[in-house]
Amino acid sequence: MLRATLKSALGHRLRLVLTAMSVMMGVAFVAGTFIFTDTIDKTFDELFADVYAGQDVIVQSETGYDVSLGIPPPFNAGVIETVRGVPGVVAAEGSVSGFAVIYDEAGKAIVPTGPPTLGGSWVEDDRLVGNTEMREGRGPTASDEVVIDARTATAHDLVLGDVVEVQTLMKVATYRVVGIIGFGEADNLGGATMALFDLDTAQRLFGMEGEYSSITVVADSGTTPEVLTRRIQAVLPDTLEAVTATDELAAQTQSMQESLGFLQTALLVFAAVAVFVGSFIIQNTFRIIVRQRQRELGLMRAVGATGSQIIWMVVIEALLVGLVASLLGILLGFGIAGGLTVIMDAAGFSMPSTSAPLALRTIVVGLAVGLLVTVAAAVVPAVRASRIPPVAALHDMDVTLRMSDRARAIIGGILLAAGVGFMVSGLLEGLIDIGPLNQLTRVGIGAALVFLAVSLLSSNVVKPAAAVLGHRSVLTAVGVLSGLALVGTGVGLVVYGASSGVGAVAYMIPLALIPLAVGGLALYLGLTVVRDRFSPALAVQNAVRKPRRTATTASALMIGLALVTFCFILGDSIKASAGQAIDEGLRADYVLSVNAFVGGFSPQLADDLTQQPEIAAVTAMRIGYWDLDGREQIATGLDPVTADQTLFLDIQQGDFGALADGGVLVLDTVAEEEGWTLGDEIPMGFARGLQQVEIVGIFAKQNLVQPYVVSLDFFEQNMSGYGSDLDYAVAVKAADGVSPEVSRAVVEAAAADYPNATVRDQAEYRAAQEDQANTMLALFNALLVLAVIIAIFGITNTLALSIYERTHEIGLLRAVGMSRSQVVRAVSWEAIVVAIIGAVLGIVVGTVFGVVVAVAMASQGLTVLSIPVLQIGALVVFGAIAGLIAALFPARRASRLRILDAIAYE
Amino acid sequence: MVTTVPRTDLTAARMTAGVKRYGQGDTAVTALDGIDVSFESGRFTAIMGPSGSGKSTLLHCLAGLDVLTSGSAYIGEVELGSLSDKDLTLLRREKVGFVFQAFNLIPTLSAKENVLLPLLIAGAAHDAAWFGEVVGILGIENRLSHRPNELSGGEQQRVAAARALVSHPAIVFADEPSGNLDSRSAAELLAFMRRAASDYGQTIVMVTHDPVAAAYADRIVFLGDGRIVDEMANPTTEAVIDRMKQFGG
Repeated sequence: MLRATLKSALGHRLRLVLTAMSVMMGVAFVAGTFIFTDTIDKTFDELFADVYAGQDVIVQSETGYDVSLGIPPPFNAGVIETVRGVPGVVAAEGSVSGFAVIYDEAGKAIVPTGPPTLGGSWVEDDRLVGNTEMREGRGPTASDEVVIDARTATAHDLVLGDVVEVQTLMKVATYRVVGIIGFGEADNLGGATMALFDLDTAQRLFGMEGEYSSITVVADSGTTPEVLTRRIQAVLPDTLEAVTATDELAAQTQSMQESLGFLQTALLVFAAVAVFVGSFIIQNTFRIIVRQRQRELGLMRAVGATGSQIIWMVVIEALLVGLVASLLGILLGFGIAGGLTVIMDAAGFSMPSTSAPLALRTIVVGLAVGLLVTVAAAVVPAVRASRIPPVAALHDMDVTLRMSDRARAIIGGILLAAGVGFMVSGLLEGLIDIGPLNQLTRVGIGAALVFLAVSLLSSNVVKPAAAVLGHRSVLTAVGVLSGLALVGTGVGLVVYGASSGVGAVAYMIPLALIPLAVGGLALYLGLTVVRDRFSPALAVQNAVRKPRRTATTASALMIGLALVTFCFILGDSIKASAGQAIDEGLRADYVLSVNAFVGGFSPQLADDLTQQPEIAAVTAMRIGYWDLDGREQIATGLDPVTADQTLFLDIQQGDFGALADGGVLVLDTVAEEEGWTLGDEIPMGFARGLQQVEIVGIFAKQNLVQPYVVSLDFFEQNMSGYGSDLDYAVAVKAADGVSPEVSRAVVEAAAADYPNATVRDQAEYRAAQEDQANTMLALFNALLVLAVIIAIFGITNTLALSIYERTHEIGLLRAVGMSRSQVVRAVSWEAIVVAIIGAVLGIVVGTVFGVVVAVAMASQGLTVLSIPVLQIGALVVFGAIAGLIAALFPARRASRLRILDAIAYE
Repeated sequence: MVTTVPRTDLTAARMTAGVKRYGQGDTAVTALDGIDVSFESGRFTAIMGPSGSGKSTLLHCLAGLDVLTSGSAYIGEVELGSLSDKDLTLLRREKVGFVFQAFNLIPTLSAKENVLLPLLIAGAAHDAAWFGEVVGILGIENRLSHRPNELSGGEQQRVAAARALVSHPAIVFADEPSGNLDSRSAAELLAFMRRAASDYGQTIVMVTHDPVAAAYADRIVFLGDGRIVDEMANPTTEAVIDRMKQFGG
């Protein structure tokens, strides 16, 4: 029995490959996600291990909680003598850390998007430097000297003796490069740039005169780090703590893994979509295979095979496909991980790279997902196969058992209701409580159920949809539009290449050939509808001939495009809402902000601007973190006196002025969610400890600020975090009567000393916000493209199998006068019709999802519902193109069938 | 108004020195081994011979479904070997009608659409009077809206025969058209083909191994081992059986 199965599977290698492809891509995404995040994990592990190499004990401020990207608050440097006096201490040295941006020779800030731009003090004692090694030169000894990392030096052609600009808390100043350092093998620390100054200079630059960020200690050979830590802790004041370097390393690594956990979850959601789409295709393929092998299976039953043997035959074939596909998928995962790095990089999250690790977990999960999905998808077809009666061996009749239309409608209806229920319960949390699943999971399960339901129910719309699509004018429009879109893309690529230089053209022209060729084919298809009505008519008839097969195939594409539509609507609504908020809520004429995800510019800039007579008000804003019962919250610190002139937060209760006395302003929706009212005291956990802080105002418009707003004084006393001593944004209001030209010139002039500050007026600021949303949207859609590619494979696979079934028919048509090009057109149109049905279903489902979620999020600032009709409409054309691409291979194959072989078939 | 094609002495199709070989070297099989034959317009010719004698190959090469290894095949005055796939397709569409033994019809199309298939493919208008006459003679006028799976085997073959005639082809090739039919349906179909040749001057070439079917033809060409071994004019069933006994086929 096993041999028969293997022979049958290997006998249809093409079918095996095409089926495996859909599983493989889903598994590849899962494996790729793990490999990608493991790589980042490993990089940071190596980074932290490097930082603490050779050190035994760290002394730092005792913090209430571990702040994200946190640098603990500085402490008085005097304590170093106490530490040095502890028995067992061989060496102890204090250091400071902070934020420093190096500028290249062209005056451009060297800011890696993702890894930080570190600044610090040079460690004098060789025993405490970890694996930091001097590659060239020496340590800094004067206030105008700096040591930089080797990667920054080589990437920006900086050599010993060069004078570079470095920005810290202070204004940009110039320093001479006296040393270039590496870290063991590595040229930098996980992608971070580094500028080290002598201790005095560093303390001054980071605003920590007479203070340290930490003290590092080396124990003598007879004392363990644990023992020494206890001894040091005993002599430290209450505000400081001693930890072993090993514990600190573990804490840092864990905190990094926690922040990566979000990224991993997000990517696994996309992987789950890919696997889900793949399962539709596998199920369809096995159903078709069972139908095609009906006579063979009937014969097996006739000669004595039992029903369960037949089930095993199909299931073993599924296992075989799943196994091969999963193994290939895990290998392909490395490619996906590389692709993710590129996508993330393009979206602005550049990730440091190291060799990609293949963890056992990646293999186990990859195999489990691949095998489970394949076998689960094959179970229903297998059971159907086992019910084929022996008589099927004798007649070619369609005896495959299938659900009645009524049963489908009932099951589809139940699934739809359940799906909607899950989604609603997820969106309106608190209204319906259904146990421990979190909101996102519930919405996800709901969406999956709705997709299944639509897939089951959609076989009923195949016929009417195909009838509409089959109209000649519709087909012509589809062909011409997708043709023009593709030709436009091809020409665009060439023009883009030409504008970016000679080398780029050579690269772009071959790349452009693909859309140009497919576009040409689409135009040809559209324009031939007039003179060849037969091929499209035949295509439409073939598309509706097995409505369930068509519905399942189309559903695979529906899922991907529904999610794209959903993203379009949500993204557009976010943009429109943000735009509306800016229009309504920004009183400032200019916004200065940083073009990076973290960091900021020196408070000096805001001070400079305040001095100018042309400027009426300047509000500097900083970002900091605090802890609410274990949940990290983000707050803005600002000057309450000027904020009323530059920002419009639409304060509902209380007022700005009260902030000056140390209260907090809370966004209305947050207050409502937490059950807080004006005058309540809330427990805010800071690095320095817990404080009860009074709510002195509730605001409604979250504009440029975070959900919590405190005064700058309060912020400076309590908040801490990477770059929290820098301004992330400054809002500027010009004085009355000053022309925009003059005020702009004044702001630009002040900002000139701070190259990472970008000046934008209201319209520019709004456009920049929209750009940011567009980038996220592009990132999501790039990840969803994989689901669409899998769907294309599904259409190809189904089409190839259908054509195999129709070999004889095609032979007959060719014999009585159908030309090869007519066969190509008929197959292409069939795929396009199926794909467009999928696209339209996807648009409908995605629009419903988008509108529902957008409305549900109205209280979270999504005040405008905006549906980008043109973009969504373009998805129909995109679907047609996907169908055409799916058809290329089967169409060619069908047109090349040798007529005599086809007629003699069977 | 009955459209008739006048009987002429022109040759509808012919083959000269036709050789068809499959495979290469030691394993090569010669299916046609120097065939010289012609088929006059307006006549009904049967090709007979034992299994493996090359009769189907001869039909396929004459009909432009397969290509000769050497020699020439003509439909009218057009030499098939010189045609591209596209021209060959057009020639089949316009000049040739086919009736196969089975799987003659497209299951998604109605009987009427199947009859009109070559014209639909060409996007050409059909001759309504001739269509009505053909389906009338074949007795399928009430079955035209049905799908093939709703028709009996005999009806299916009659629809195929109607398709072969409806585009006024120069020649109709039939490959065991009655092979899957019961004797009554077979007789009806063959009588119709006979009538198409006699009354309408339709040239028909039919491959068969059934002496009863062959007896409907004007002339029989006997094949053996890829060569023409004999001919018979105005055959009867008994004469055919006698002749076949001589060949041991």
